[in-house]
Amino acid sequence: MPPLPQTALDQITYVAVGYAGLVTLAALAVTVRRVPRPQVLDNGVWILEVLLAVRAVAGLGTMLNGDRPAEMSAHIGYLVASVCVLPIAMQSVADDRGPWSSGVVTVAALAVTVVAVRLQMTLR
Amino acid sequence: MTASKQRRSGAHQVLLALYALFVLAAGARAAVQLATDAGRAPVAYALSAVAAATYAAGWLAIRRASVGRTGFASVMLWVELAGVVTVGTLSLVERDWFPDASVWSDYGIGYGFVPAVLPVAGLLWLRSQRPPV
Repeated sequence: MPPLPQTALDQITYVAVGYAGLVTLAALAVTVRRVPRPQVLDNGVWILEVLLAVRAVAGLGTMLNGDRPAEMSAHIGYLVASVCVLPIAMQSVADDRGPWSSGVVTVAALAVTVVAVRLQMTLR
Repeated sequence: MTASKQRRSGAHQVLLALYALFVLAAGARAAVQLATDAGRAPVAYALSAVAAATYAAGWLAIRRASVGRTGFASVMLWVELAGVVTVGTLSLVERDWFPDASVWSDYGIGYGFVPAVLPVAGLLWLRSQRPPV
């Protein structure tokens, strides 16, 4: 069982992980149903991106205040990945709303779910 | 409509996304490990770099195959599968060679076995791309 959140940064990360998991499941459901990608899925992805950007800014602020992560280089790598993966994935399917484009969203959302978990693991 | 446009939407998009992700994951992992602590597990870290290069080549191969040029992919995906099986088996048999894990250690257990499934999925997709005889 994961430890309880200790700080506001922990709380944002936990919310991001949970929401990213929901977006992953939603994208997977759309992919399995083989229907065109709905606009609501795009909206969900961009809300997740905003959440991850907030998490990244808060994380950077914490680091600038002198709270260094246990695995610094890995943590910064995950921090960059957490905000870059979704925009790149959405750009790659920007002019395609076919069923398989939701598969790309599924992969990207699953990736940021894992990245958000790893962010927390490399923090302390 | 051109062949490339006809095949624009399809399962290869998911494969391309996965390959791009693994280029990033394996490449960043190898870069960090080789830059910060190369002496700890040189074989494992070098193999992670090889895995990253293989995924980059695999991405290119699937992209070419999606527009009908399947030659490179039919070689590259087998090379990738051989790499996963060889490194995965070596990591189980020769534990001393792997003080730290590489991307393909234990058949990619650290990545939910996706590294082992990916070339197989790619080969199945490639098979579906062949025109009916």
